Amino acid sequence: MAERVAHDGGAADSNFDASGFEHSLNPAAPRRWTGWRRSALLAAALLAVLSLLVLARMLAGTAHLDAQWQAAPAGTLTLLSSDQAALNVMAGRTLATIAGIDLEPFEVDALALQRSPRWQVDDLRRRRQMDLQERLSQAFATGRVTLRFTDGSQVLAATPPRGAAGLGLLFWPLAGLALLLALTGVAVLLARPRLVNALYLVMAFCQAGNLLFIGIETLQGLGLPAGLSRHEMLLRLAFDAITAAAAVHAFALHPRRLPSVMPVVTTAWAITALVVALAAAGRLPWLWWWAQGLPLALGVAALLLLGVSHRIEPHPFAALMRRFGVIAAATYALVSVAVATAAERSGVADNVAVIGAVVWYLFFATLLLLVPFLARSRQALREFAMLAGIGTVAASLGLLFVAVFEVGPAASLTLAVFLALGVYAVARQWILNHLVGRSALSTERTFEQFHTTARAVQEQPERHAELLAQLLRELFEPSEVLTLDRGADRARVVGAGSALLVPVRGGDVESTLPPALMLRLARRGQRLFTLEDARLAERVVEQLKRAVAYDRAVERGRNEERLRIAQDLHDDIGARLLTLMYQAQSREMEDYIRNTLKDLKTLTRGLASTDHRLSHAAGEWKADISQRLTVAQVQLNWSFNFDQDQRLSMAQWSALTRVLRELVSNTLQHAMASRVDVNFSLQRQRLSLTVADDGIGRAPDNWAHGLGLGGVRKRVKLLGGEVRWRDNDKAGIVCEVTVAEFGSRR
Amino acid sequence: MTVKVLILEDNPVARSFLCRVVRESFSDANLITEAGDLETARRHINLTGGARGLHGVDPFKLILVDLELPDGNGMELLAELAQYPATKIVTTLYSDDDHLFPALQCGADGYLLKEDRFEVLVEELQKIVRGQPPLSPAIARRLLTHFRQGVGGDSQAPDSGFMKATGFTSSRPVPIEKQPDHERLTPRETEVLTYLSKGFTIKEIASLMGIKWFTVNDHIKSIYKKLNVSSRAEAAVLASKQGLV
Repeated sequence: MAERVAHDGGAADSNFDASGFEHSLNPAAPRRWTGWRRSALLAAALLAVLSLLVLARMLAGTAHLDAQWQAAPAGTLTLLSSDQAALNVMAGRTLATIAGIDLEPFEVDALALQRSPRWQVDDLRRRRQMDLQERLSQAFATGRVTLRFTDGSQVLAATPPRGAAGLGLLFWPLAGLALLLALTGVAVLLARPRLVNALYLVMAFCQAGNLLFIGIETLQGLGLPAGLSRHEMLLRLAFDAITAAAAVHAFALHPRRLPSVMPVVTTAWAITALVVALAAAGRLPWLWWWAQGLPLALGVAALLLLGVSHRIEPHPFAALMRRFGVIAAATYALVSVAVATAAERSGVADNVAVIGAVVWYLFFATLLLLVPFLARSRQALREFAMLAGIGTVAASLGLLFVAVFEVGPAASLTLAVFLALGVYAVARQWILNHLVGRSALSTERTFEQFHTTARAVQEQPERHAELLAQLLRELFEPSEVLTLDRGADRARVVGAGSALLVPVRGGDVESTLPPALMLRLARRGQRLFTLEDARLAERVVEQLKRAVAYDRAVERGRNEERLRIAQDLHDDIGARLLTLMYQAQSREMEDYIRNTLKDLKTLTRGLASTDHRLSHAAGEWKADISQRLTVAQVQLNWSFNFDQDQRLSMAQWSALTRVLRELVSNTLQHAMASRVDVNFSLQRQRLSLTVADDGIGRAPDNWAHGLGLGGVRKRVKLLGGEVRWRDNDKAGIVCEVTVAEFGSRR
Repeated sequence: MTVKVLILEDNPVARSFLCRVVRESFSDANLITEAGDLETARRHINLTGGARGLHGVDPFKLILVDLELPDGNGMELLAELAQYPATKIVTTLYSDDDHLFPALQCGADGYLLKEDRFEVLVEELQKIVRGQPPLSPAIARRLLTHFRQGVGGDSQAPDSGFMKATGFTSSRPVPIEKQPDHERLTPRETEVLTYLSKGFTIKEIASLMGIKWFTVNDHIKSIYKKLNVSSRAEAAVLASKQGLV
């Protein structure tokens, strides 16, 4: 399954194998840079710096001729100026030959200005260039050279060693970059000794070598270290080819092992070895085309491998690498074409073409440097994407102008920069989206989704785990969300950005939440998880738990308060009403107080319990009314129907209880009836309650409603219904209560 | 033969009211002892031979216990008087099952609601002494749940407001052996309880079940006893588990 790319230095997530996370998810501390690793890295760094210094010393020691030359269109060299007074006098003359002390003079032309045989397309010219450079360094090594000009004059010039200052400004940054690249390779291998990382090391070293060569090219003036030109072409060809072959091999291993592809890998290495051997033996014609074509071909093969790996299982790393890889390969091809075209026209065009090539190598080196860090920060990724996009566009355009349209170098560069900026302004978002993947969500949408989820969790706390998983799914769009048995202390990015480990329960053993969740492959394999994602996930989990806890606490507090109030009311007030009742002077007063007491009990009972089922309430109402009517020797006809045994809210329950009680009391007090019919019906949310008697009451419209019946009106209104009294058929009164939408009012 | 009655009630007005009720209820001459708090009551009981009620010394025949006492719960006294040969009646202002049910579990033979009228109280008292204790729908429901879950049943009533939202009762270990008969309800008794929970009167239940009125009352009395026994059994089991016995 998916293997990991090791991270260097202090990374907390190198330990987790994205495939076997369930088992390897031990609470062990992340690997620290202690012990032998640190010593090894320090040793390597020391070694590298020393080698660099040795190289610089060697370069500083080469003899050179300090003068400014200009290549004329005819291919000859014209002296512009020089620090040596003797030479300066000759300014403006065209150089014919140079001769070292005791050496034969040899012809020098504009070819001497071209630094690197690497970019010489034509085999013959390259050989001549290498030869020329060799002889120049030989001549300069003698300490003094004689320069003969076309007009016959000649001058003796000194060729001192360069000295440190002669290394130029560009050498040190390039050397530093090379050093950094090499050390990164070492660190990556040390962090996790695996074949993939060894291949990465190889690539890093090769490109560091390239960078060093480029640095050497920037040396000013004529005169390069002996032997350099001879080997440079071969070495750089080897570097590029090895890098490409290593890339092929690496992509066959990471992010996914592709065992069926091993033959391709072996072929790649074999071809590389063959080509390098042939080139070393000098038997390879069209060397430059091989130097460009072989790495390109191998690079394309590597990209194809990535495509295969991505198709088997979408992995954000593969997707990302593919995008960058395609850009790199395309620009490489463009650079090659531009250099080849420019080679037709010699002179100035060459140098500009070479600059384009150098820019490409810088871009590639930065890409290599950033590969281990892709998952660390969205920011780094974004910046690199911008750099890649704009840099390559600018370089390519510049090359195009120079090579095809033969625009002057300064003009073409300026034009290229402007165009690149234009592209940046217009297509920045597009570039970002396509290179990095759409950035997670706008804050607005995130907030909204969180808000909705928090509300849902508050309403249904038993779905907490499910809703949390859903929210994480919406935020990150992973290909899968897995529940883990063991937790972790922090959210972590594991598997080089392919998975995100989110601790959920947080030590609370009672909770129904799982210990942790693992999200794999953000945005269905299109995007890597970064540290920002980890932090966001942590915060989301935390906030959701807080929302739930808060809500629960509020609810609990409310319940406790209600109970306390009910208790207080009941005990205190109830007891006093009771005493009053015992001391009532008259029957009416006693009954009045008794009803008050009963109302109080209804109220407190409604407060204390939150849940009144209709069927239960019906039983209690019937028992109560039966008892009262039996005592008064009145017959009761009771009918109670409902289609749904729903829960009554406190308001509904207490209102109905009191309405019933009041109506029956009223009948008992005034009607002098022999029979009371109570009909209750609740069908499809429509409530209908009638209390009918056969007493002496008549013409209820003319009644003045006292407190009791006024209370009935009020309660019914609270329920959202209507009440009316009318004459019963033969004798007595009927009270009809109707509530159209009983269920809606809670 | 005088009937000794003990009335435990902290409110003096209520106390005298209850005295009147007792006097009105029984034709026998009776000697009413009043107690205003638990301590006094205990003293009186000890005078008649203590909680065990040693026969021979003239014990109380009827004890009315107020549940809302200032120095403790009347249920404590009820529990102490488990072996006492008297009819124990609780008086209370609360008519909800949360308060009454534990009292019944402690061995009350019936209950009186303080809010009722004088005549109603008299009649209820007579009925209890006759062996026809009342059972409100709420208590009937509670009893049904209690016996349905077996011995050591519920600690929370369905709609007392404390039930968990999930509605899933915690699975408790079910006894392998069949519970002895005196701790389970017979089908008839369950039927009576069901009707009572729906609010039917004794008369209506009798006609619905096709039995005599007295039989219904016998069932109710038997239910009371079973509740008491099962509660005591549960208490004994708990006590033995905790190593107190």
